[in-house]
Amino acid sequence: MTKEKKLSITIDNRTVEVRPHLTILEAARTHNIYIPSLCAMEHLPSYGACRLCVVEVDGLRGFPTSCTTPVEDGMVIRTDTGEIRTLRQEVLKLLLSEHPASCLFCTEQDECKDYQGTIRKAGVITGCRYCPNDTRCELQQVTERIGLTETSYPVYYRNFPVEKNDPFYDRDYNLCILCGRCVRVCNSVRLNGTLSFKQRGKITTVGPAFDRTHLEAGCEFCGACVTVCPTGALSTKTSKWYGKPDKEVATTCVYCPVGCTLKLQVRKSEVLDVLPDYNSALDHGFICVKGRFAVPEYVHSSFRIPVPQRITPLGYNDISWDEAIAEAAERLAGVKPDSFLMMVSPQLTNEDLFVAQQFARQIIGSDQIGSPLLYDLGADTGPFVNLVSQSSAFDVIDDAEAVLAIGFDSTYDYAPIGIGTKKAAQRGAVLVTINSCDTNLDMLSEMAFTCGTEKWSALVGLLTGASAQGAAPLFPTWKKDIAGIQGIFKKSTRKVIIAGPGLLAAPQRTEIIEKLLKVKEKGGWDIIVAHPYSNLKGMLAMGAFHGIKTGAIINENGQAEGVKGDLSKFDLTKGCTVIYAVGVSDLDSLPDCDYLIYQNALPSESQRRPDLLLPAALFTESSGTVINGEGRILPVNKAVEPYRSAKPDWWILNAIGERIKKGVMKYAQVQSVQKEIAKTIKGFPGVKKRLEFSRIDVKMKTPKGAPKMRKQGQFNYRGIPLEAVVKGMKAIEERIELISGSNRGAI
Amino acid sequence: MSDTDTNHECVCAQLSEEELYPRLELIIEEHRNKPHELIMALHKAQNLFGYLPRKVQQMVAEGLKVSLNEIYGVITFYSFFSTVPKGRHSVKVCLGTACYVRGGQQTLEKVGKELGAKVGDTTEDRRYSLDVVRCIGACGLAPAMLVDDDVYGRVKSTKIMEILDQYK
Repeated sequence: MTKEKKLSITIDNRTVEVRPHLTILEAARTHNIYIPSLCAMEHLPSYGACRLCVVEVDGLRGFPTSCTTPVEDGMVIRTDTGEIRTLRQEVLKLLLSEHPASCLFCTEQDECKDYQGTIRKAGVITGCRYCPNDTRCELQQVTERIGLTETSYPVYYRNFPVEKNDPFYDRDYNLCILCGRCVRVCNSVRLNGTLSFKQRGKITTVGPAFDRTHLEAGCEFCGACVTVCPTGALSTKTSKWYGKPDKEVATTCVYCPVGCTLKLQVRKSEVLDVLPDYNSALDHGFICVKGRFAVPEYVHSSFRIPVPQRITPLGYNDISWDEAIAEAAERLAGVKPDSFLMMVSPQLTNEDLFVAQQFARQIIGSDQIGSPLLYDLGADTGPFVNLVSQSSAFDVIDDAEAVLAIGFDSTYDYAPIGIGTKKAAQRGAVLVTINSCDTNLDMLSEMAFTCGTEKWSALVGLLTGASAQGAAPLFPTWKKDIAGIQGIFKKSTRKVIIAGPGLLAAPQRTEIIEKLLKVKEKGGWDIIVAHPYSNLKGMLAMGAFHGIKTGAIINENGQAEGVKGDLSKFDLTKGCTVIYAVGVSDLDSLPDCDYLIYQNALPSESQRRPDLLLPAALFTESSGTVINGEGRILPVNKAVEPYRSAKPDWWILNAIGERIKKGVMKYAQVQSVQKEIAKTIKGFPGVKKRLEFSRIDVKMKTPKGAPKMRKQGQFNYRGIPLEAVVKGMKAIEERIELISGSNRGAI
Repeated sequence: MSDTDTNHECVCAQLSEEELYPRLELIIEEHRNKPHELIMALHKAQNLFGYLPRKVQQMVAEGLKVSLNEIYGVITFYSFFSTVPKGRHSVKVCLGTACYVRGGQQTLEKVGKELGAKVGDTTEDRRYSLDVVRCIGACGLAPAMLVDDDVYGRVKSTKIMEILDQYK
């Protein structure tokens, strides 16, 4: 590719070189020349609404807006003349004639601050500064830069009612300046289309059609509109009155296997809010409702286990860590390897999972390591983990010609994959969806096959050409459509299958997975698996899985034979002496035991009462890594101190392990765990490229009682439903129930 | 169906709304999967129905692959589009400067009271819809009122019902 020729332009008497295809505003910003603007924003299409970025350009009539004027070679631009300054002040005055201005112009502003302290517990701001965005407001900054200190126009208060009916964020359109950032981010960036300007003139507001709530109108609650709003019109319910954060900590979301970057907004020891990272190469800032809004309320839940607790006939007694460790060690010492069960959550970090398997194998001498996966999937666990281990990078979707989405809906999760798919469809890729109810991708799809999960296997076989045996008569009305799609798939070379969480609810899931793997082997198809087990690849890589040793599954040179795991003798129903559950909260499904250790952040919702409660730190409170669905190692960074006495999972396991058998673990910090992992996985955790996983062949018996079918859209973290601790998630779950009706996820 | 068939005058008065949907299908078919032709499609749909009910908006959204919210934004922006059905007769009261000074506001209030409708509304029997206009060039006859294409000057509140009753 030839390098693009640079253009030479003169801005404010400085001659600079810039890339072509930039607007004047972008060019000025790359050279640190400030031009005020309220509607233009990086990553959003130009709009030219606020008129504050006007400049003078030689040869152009009047004052063009710099955000919509492209640079040309030899352009002479002035950004800060007296005339422009007056013009901008006038424009801003007009703009503020509909925006309450006490936070902008009051002469008593600075003095007033000292009298605003309150003795109330809730975050309330007294005085006339009623705006939740005060001190974080772009409009305030711009007004200051433009130097406007008073206005000659009366302020017209539009008196719109404040909208508080939707979960997660409130809307006060009296503060809106109609810059259109939220409308553009919703339509052009998130490709969602919930927001639109309504009406015209002074009664214009932003929102969905008719008087529907955002929830009814298909809002994803991704919070992108709140993030880009330059005023206090849109504000997050939980953090609106908290003011500015002290610091920002970038970390990786552990709610699903995509692994989006989250920018945690931290003040003192609290995560106030979470923002997306629009520069992240992996997710482009396309985080979903879970990452955007479901973190602070979960990690700062008032239900968290504060200190270690021991069961007594009268309830739980607080004990010290020393007592707790001693008691656990005493009960675990000498336990027979086959009457011990270690249950781990696939949402733990790699380090926690590594120490957990080491604990089971080297301290207890047992290979009895299980996870909730086994209960969800039963005998289908083997094929499923095999499918996951062979899944592709997410960017295969960027140049795909055809996409087949099975049981996949990206309204409330897997947003980067969903938006990637929508983009592909918009640029002309053929999108076909299979689901048991309407999905958010149907609108852009060539064909949306809506049918019961029991028919999916036959349909997948027909469409992909994996097997057509006896399937055609099942779909008499779709005969033509199926033939058409078959033809398109045959002609396309770069094809992607997205296996969504709905797949786990299909009765013939093994059969479908086998068909998918068969067509992948034949070539032309890539597979992306969107499943709820966040760090499943990490769990497999760390060997926190019965029969699979640490690192055994990593296929460095791409030639490994494949890993064989044998779970056929692994009995999930047999009674045990001790069960140690780390981040697993469905205790009622576990087999009987004499002693149950429950290590988690929130109490379990199960009937069964564990004997010992160990408070664990969450992903905002400890460092580590996860391996995402693509096989990339991503950092999880500590942002705040653990709640009360909570400790990281690896620390607790290490402490108990050391008490039982000295000298096996001895990890003082997370880096020493990583060093130990690096002995088997070379370069850990600094590997930049994707880890290749080899094939897995796991045999597994179905545990007693049929495996539970996972319902689509049940969001959990460490076994606790998000809706139990995050208020707004309840509305989201109800919405999913409503859309899916009775047929989604059911058999 | 040829172009002239879908562009014809409003037939909403002759056919029931249910009978119009097959015709809407034909209009949507012309513009299927072409989001940039939204305004044209809405224009034709409004010609067909006389207004744009929610169901019509929904069908256009699905056919053209435009979000319903965007369509609603367009419809509420342009005064040409209406989301309430129009009556068989349009009553327009002039509130231009001259008419305003000579009592246009009182005329409007009286008309509204007689019809039981607010500005922009349609009476329940779909006989009249009430609107306001800014000067129809009949300032010499102020206050003026327009019913369909007929201009009435020097409208007195006592005569209003008499005028309106002529339009069945």
